[in-house]
Amino acid sequence: MSNTTLEQASGPREPLVAGRSLGQDAWLRLRRNRAAVASAVVLLLLALAGIVGPWIHAHPYDRIYPQYVRAPASLEAYPKEDAIVPAFESALGRARVDIGEIELSGSTVRAPVSDDEALDPRIVRYIDRSDLFSNARLEDEEGNEMMEGATSAFMVADVQRLRFVFGTDANGRDLLSRILIGIRISLAIGVLASMMALLLGVTYGAIAGYLGGRVDNLMMRVVDVLYSLPFIFFVILLVVFFGRNFVLIFIAIGCTEWLDMARIVRGQTLTIKRQEYVQAAEALGVSDAGIVRRHIIPNALGPVVVFVTLLVPKAILLESLLSFLGLGVQEPLTSLGLLIAEGAANMRGAAWLLIYPAVTLTAILFALNFLGDGLRDALDPKDR
Amino acid sequence: MFAYVLRRFAGAVPTLFIIVTIAFFMIRLAPGGPFDLERPLDPLIMKNLERAYNFDKPLWQQYLIYLGNLAQGDLGPSFTRRDFSVVDLFRTGLPVSIQLGGIALSIALVVGVFLGALAALRQNTWVDYMVVGTATFGITIPTFVIAPVFSLFFGVMMGWLPAGGWGTWQHMVLPIATLALPQIAIIARLTRGATIEALRSNHVRTARAYGLPSYVVVGVHALRAAILPVVSYLGPTAAALLTGSVVVETIFGIPGIGRYFVQGALGRDYTLVMGTVVVIACFVIVFNLIVDVLYAWLDPRVRYD
Repeated sequence: MSNTTLEQASGPREPLVAGRSLGQDAWLRLRRNRAAVASAVVLLLLALAGIVGPWIHAHPYDRIYPQYVRAPASLEAYPKEDAIVPAFESALGRARVDIGEIELSGSTVRAPVSDDEALDPRIVRYIDRSDLFSNARLEDEEGNEMMEGATSAFMVADVQRLRFVFGTDANGRDLLSRILIGIRISLAIGVLASMMALLLGVTYGAIAGYLGGRVDNLMMRVVDVLYSLPFIFFVILLVVFFGRNFVLIFIAIGCTEWLDMARIVRGQTLTIKRQEYVQAAEALGVSDAGIVRRHIIPNALGPVVVFVTLLVPKAILLESLLSFLGLGVQEPLTSLGLLIAEGAANMRGAAWLLIYPAVTLTAILFALNFLGDGLRDALDPKDR
Repeated sequence: MFAYVLRRFAGAVPTLFIIVTIAFFMIRLAPGGPFDLERPLDPLIMKNLERAYNFDKPLWQQYLIYLGNLAQGDLGPSFTRRDFSVVDLFRTGLPVSIQLGGIALSIALVVGVFLGALAALRQNTWVDYMVVGTATFGITIPTFVIAPVFSLFFGVMMGWLPAGGWGTWQHMVLPIATLALPQIAIIARLTRGATIEALRSNHVRTARAYGLPSYVVVGVHALRAAILPVVSYLGPTAAALLTGSVVVETIFGIPGIGRYFVQGALGRDYTLVMGTVVVIACFVIVFNLIVDVLYAWLDPRVRYD
């Protein structure tokens, strides 16, 4: 301890020419850390995918395609060639008309249909109702619209090509769109919960550290008692108490994660308050507000920023765990934890349901951890 | 030292009391009750049930009754698992959880310390980078990702091990691996950092200067100092591992006690929730005590006071 204070006192001396601020220094160090830069890029891309993706992606996240339950991930468009004719046949079978040879040319299917009575034009609905076909119509031999009262005609429909790059889930929803919305929810909860913890922790810790004495003692005992309560249990009880709700989930996570922040900020405030440069500033007659703004906040900021970046993955993990246990966000909304839980339940025969969400969550966590490590190295050079 | 242990146990009673109190009132004030079924019960039956379980008395009386029973080691009947008392549930479930957690903990400790010390001795070589890289993986990937992926890969795809269930030693391999892996990573990282520091310390330099063989210098002098942070990490971790993991038990279908808290809280099984809280709090308290005693034994500068 005495070593570090000595080093601080006599160590890094700002050169008189072309001084760089602490922030600039940190920024330079961060940019030199390749893992941190790569992580930041990955995170930005993922965040972008989570924010913009659900809007521009072809499938809404809650749209169910009953014909495509658990369709494997594939770069080719669905339906597969050999699945078209049987699907057309089974869809047409419900119309209770006589069906001739079904022929497939390009992206249209065509089959002669006939009946004893006049054909009801409403039977096209049986085809339209299927996810595989669209624009079903009854035509005569030349491709014109069927005459009313005809007993034989051709049922023609366009094959609807759909792409499920990541496959579909057990309810027939596109997995990619669900992962995109899951990224959005997970990142949002991570950031919001961390902000909540930041707000609570910094306020509480700064007050305790600044006032000191008996107030500090009492406030920190409260934190100690809360510490000894099992964390995850506390969150579960909160969720059980208030019900499952997006807002309450991040509040609950924030409420349990602010304790560390409060301790860090209090410790920082306590040590900085006694630093020589603060005493010097006091001796020079700088006002309290000036000392706080110019000396205490910038010096306390480093550990706080670092801790926030490590708090975000923690909050994401906690939310994912809650969702995994069935206490998180509710269907049809989803989060990465919920997707992993569903994937684990469906992994026999549908491994992609587990693998893609798991890879996504792991990528987010890795990126956040590397970025946090990089920030710590950049903002807290004493630590190395 | 005996007096110290006794004093610590006495000090644990108020802590336990506060935890029990908070947990009791939180779960009791939560909306809903254990007898809220989809089809409401006949009011008369409901009344009888409430009388049988003392729910008709004011909450503070129920609290005192619970405390009285708790002092006699009676955790009450379970509401969701009829015909079982909470003590029965723990008697069958706890050995399973302790067995899994204990093996995982021992493996994690041995492998983690070994890898960490190895990385520290070969600092900045490929061995070191391998260990640190693997440890980063182990720390970052959460259990609820590792568990289903293991189950999928080794159980479903390869068919080497059962994907879930309980009974033979094969059933234990995957859950133990899942539990041990993140702990190995954390312990290796802790050990590596502490060993690097210890190797630079005065007492290790002195031992070297005496001409002691390097395995004695490392194994006895450096590791004894390097293991301290691992020991303090181990307290809460051991308690968490031995009381079962809800994720691992859910995915692998293991009849341990890790699932009871979540299930109890969702089903408003008041006594089960309270029992879990009490058991876990006791484990935490006991292991923190063990850690403190171990700490003083490893580092003679630490004194009981």
